[in-house]
Amino acid sequence: MFRYTLQTLRARKGGFIGAFLALFCAAMLVTACGILLETGLSGAIATERYAGTAVVVGGDQQVHETTTSEKKGKTKTKTKSKPLSERVWLPADTVDKLSGIQGAARVVPELTFTAYAVNAHGQPTSGIDGKPSYGHAWTSAVLTPFTLVQGSAPQGPDQVVVDRELAGSLGLHAGSALTVESGLGPQRFTVSGVAAPRGGDLTQQSSLFFSDDEAATLAGHPGQVSAVGIVAASGVSADTLAAEARQALAGTTAQVHTGGDLGPMEFLDASNARIKLVSMGGAIGGTSLLVAILVVVGTFALSIQQRYRELALLRAIAATPKQVRKLIGREALLVGGVAGVTGAVAGLPVAYWLHDRFVALKAIPDTLQVTFSVFPFFAAIGAALLGAWAAARISGRRTARIRPAEALAEAAVERRLGWGRLLAGLLVLAGGVVLLAVLSVLDTEPASSPVTFLTVVVLAVAVSLLGPVIARIAVTVLGAPLRLAGVGGYLAAANTRAGAKRVAAAITPLALLIAMACTVFFVATTMGDASQAQARAGNKADWVVAAATPGVPEQAVQALRQTPGVTAATEVLHSSVRVGVDKYTVEGLSAQGLTQTFDPGVTSGSLDGFGDGSVALSKVAASGLGKKPGDTLQLTLGDGTPVTLTVDAVYQRGLGFGDLTVSRDLLAKHVDDPLAGSVLVKGADRAALAAALRGFPGVAVLDRGQVDQLATTAEQSNAAVNYTAMGLIIAFTAIAAVNTLAMTVSERIREFALLRLVGTTRRQVMRMLRLESVLVVLVAAVLGTGIALAVLTAFSVGMTGSATPSIAPWRYLGVVGFAAALALLATIIPGRVALTNRPADVIGARQ
Amino acid sequence: MRTRPSIDQARGEFVRGRPSDDQAIGAAAALRLEGVTKEYGRGGRGVRALDGITLGVARGSFTAVMGPSGSGKSTFLHCAAGLDRPTSGRVHIGDTSLDGMNETQLTELRRQRIGFVFQAFNLIPALSVRQNVELPLRLSGERLDRRWQDEILARVGLEGRAGHRPAELSGGQQQRVAIARALITRPDVIFGDEPTGALDTVTARQILSLLRSCVDETGQTVVMVTHDPVAASYADTVLFLADGRIAGQLDHPNADQVADRMTRLGAWA
Repeated sequence: MFRYTLQTLRARKGGFIGAFLALFCAAMLVTACGILLETGLSGAIATERYAGTAVVVGGDQQVHETTTSEKKGKTKTKTKSKPLSERVWLPADTVDKLSGIQGAARVVPELTFTAYAVNAHGQPTSGIDGKPSYGHAWTSAVLTPFTLVQGSAPQGPDQVVVDRELAGSLGLHAGSALTVESGLGPQRFTVSGVAAPRGGDLTQQSSLFFSDDEAATLAGHPGQVSAVGIVAASGVSADTLAAEARQALAGTTAQVHTGGDLGPMEFLDASNARIKLVSMGGAIGGTSLLVAILVVVGTFALSIQQRYRELALLRAIAATPKQVRKLIGREALLVGGVAGVTGAVAGLPVAYWLHDRFVALKAIPDTLQVTFSVFPFFAAIGAALLGAWAAARISGRRTARIRPAEALAEAAVERRLGWGRLLAGLLVLAGGVVLLAVLSVLDTEPASSPVTFLTVVVLAVAVSLLGPVIARIAVTVLGAPLRLAGVGGYLAAANTRAGAKRVAAAITPLALLIAMACTVFFVATTMGDASQAQARAGNKADWVVAAATPGVPEQAVQALRQTPGVTAATEVLHSSVRVGVDKYTVEGLSAQGLTQTFDPGVTSGSLDGFGDGSVALSKVAASGLGKKPGDTLQLTLGDGTPVTLTVDAVYQRGLGFGDLTVSRDLLAKHVDDPLAGSVLVKGADRAALAAALRGFPGVAVLDRGQVDQLATTAEQSNAAVNYTAMGLIIAFTAIAAVNTLAMTVSERIREFALLRLVGTTRRQVMRMLRLESVLVVLVAAVLGTGIALAVLTAFSVGMTGSATPSIAPWRYLGVVGFAAALALLATIIPGRVALTNRPADVIGARQ
Repeated sequence: MRTRPSIDQARGEFVRGRPSDDQAIGAAAALRLEGVTKEYGRGGRGVRALDGITLGVARGSFTAVMGPSGSGKSTFLHCAAGLDRPTSGRVHIGDTSLDGMNETQLTELRRQRIGFVFQAFNLIPALSVRQNVELPLRLSGERLDRRWQDEILARVGLEGRAGHRPAELSGGQQQRVAIARALITRPDVIFGDEPTGALDTVTARQILSLLRSCVDETGQTVVMVTHDPVAASYADTVLFLADGRIAGQLDHPNADQVADRMTRLGAWA
């Protein structure tokens, strides 16, 4: 039987190529996603700054929550840990605790703080590729280690040592004057020397070194250090040293890192990007698997329909229904196996490409390197086999119903739609409606996103099951105008009615393509437009003062406040906090004159008297946390500091302003970069503000339109990440659609030949085909748009509170036009090929 | 010049029709139908395609079934060969009753006891001649007897073509493959459904002679549905069907007699 399977596959390549392609693409995507997932779970992050350090002690970058539950007299305790978004600082006495340990050559306190060199044009200079720039104390230069290549170590408060790369790009040397902008604003220094790391210039950061006292001042964390580095004495292993350090620090929350843990502790953003990769990998992988099964079931069913007579003959001469099912199952597994293996191999470059794109879009930092084991490959092969098996199982059900007597019949007639299929279709449709209802109450993005795409796929499954009924209804509606279009139209209408299943098979992937593309595009615009509208409505400022890196210093804000005509200047700072272990975005705003510049749409409570002990909540956050004005809220700030705040107000515009709002003065002490990202200014004119800001590097005055534009740019780069990821699935669906359409046309070679023989011209046949595909596109567009609209509306209700998804008409037309072009091409090209043979030969040839 | 082989009377008699003949059919019959009716559709609009057919086909005989369009020829074949279940009545292949068999049992019966030769589309295009012939054995998981295969291929005149694909063969050769496939399981009955319907006259004669020689030389039983009087004349007995009933029988027929009888049945009126 195996040989028979192989031979059938070989002889009927065309029929299996569809299924193969679909499974190949699925395996490719699953591999790529699996690799991203694995990179997220265990991707290596190489340390740079601590390359010369055996052990680094840092703060506990996790927030923990222990819950105890009583069950049948047993007390169970569960501890959940989630990462914090800002650097957690250590008390300075950690250094003293460690100084006694044996095996340490040196115990070095480390300070890391934002510090940017300002170039000759008054612009702060980022590291390579826009990477951050940090200040440290010169004593900690040994941790890399940096050594002087020119000049001398910084002495006194006005000297600085810069790294060689920065010195080169700014043309600095010992003795140069240099303005450095730190959390305390711009300050003038003299370059006392240039230092270079032992292993070549750093690529992830620029480094500036100050004298110890000056560094402590600039860091702004008195009595604290950001880390402690321990340099091993010769002959002492890192592990021994780490064990000793742990012993010395027993009873504190300080964490001892060594080896591969140094990278994640140095690059907090990379550790956070891991989580993003995990969820993104899971979402794409899961969606593509679902799409694959749907598509493969379709192509398998189609290829079985095309082999109807052959299978009936097999049944007549000796094969039991089970044997036929087995045969189809084996063919499927064989196709699945080959597609799985080749797809898995092809997935590797896709994973690297995706990683590159995400890095280019700044969704993840390039410190997080691609890591993979054999698991993604096995998962992909397994997924392809599973998908093929499931498809064969589902479409194999039909073969049981093939009556052997049909082998003797003259032509294979399409059978009526089974009740089972209708019932299943209605059930899946009901499931889709339930998902829509669920979607309309989900108000957080991580919860909403996967459900959105799942709903699209489920509704597409319902379409595929109910397809023949839909096709018949469509022909009833569109039949009359179609018949007006001459004999081609007449034939097209008749074909569509008689071949409702075939038409349904073509409609499904096209509808899925349109629905998926519309959803991907317009979920982004819906969110973007809603949050921008809220931000615009809530921003009462006349001007916005903004700075790219590192931010607007406090002195600049003071200068603004003193400018005649300015009634309020509100600094805006962003971070995230955790309540329990749940993450919330937070905005820090200057309390002074807050209500003049900021109107988040307060629904209860008031922002009057908003201060350091206050917090305002968005409606979504308030209902999620069960808080109302007057309640107290315990939360953990980004650097792990617990605070208890009083809820002053609940506001509506959570999308525009974040989940929580606290005072800027409170937040600034607990974030890595305390400079305001932007300042909202009420009053005065542009020129006066610009004059006040002269002397502050990289700061600009924007009007409200420019602010909108900035927001749009930020959204676009965020959306681009989604487009890249979901674009792969859209491409996959497009391939499936082309595939299916081509299959439905090429199976009709005999029909075309017959039409030609009875006197239909080639032109008339092509016209008939074109009209048929127009009908398919129309129905698919209506269904796809319907699905997308339903999903987007539910999404919009949940996320923005109003049932008005934003749809860009041109982009929508683009999607439908793309689908239509695809459908026409996929029909016409195989149609032409099918018509190249002489009709008499085709009819004469035995099947 | 075609010579019609004489019929060996001792090989068994053809028995038609009345319930009282049941005993006479006996165990020697390769195929027995008892009061078989087949209705399509339900209620008052139902069509009775077979209306109480009772007959027996003796082993080693060649029977042709004829009748005008709509007389129930195809339905008769489907019911007799276990491709379809009768509405009432019984079918026996050899001493086995098809009554109450499920689809899988029917399939197993078909592949062990029945051979088929259809009008066209008899072969799996992906398989070679030899593979097509041995397919029933493979499907039933039996050991393949190479010598038996070669013998059968030789008998149908296809030695040297075993490796060819169906598309590389002429229509007559394809029917020979189908006959070889039907013979391979040593079935009780071979059913033919217009086996020469798609062939030219000369090729048709060759195929019919081949079937005839199977009956004469190996004692094979053949039941063939046809509308061609010349084809029917190769049979020992011709049964005429009309309106689902047996309308007549002709032993040792010749083509003129058959055509004459068909005309009287209104087939060519």
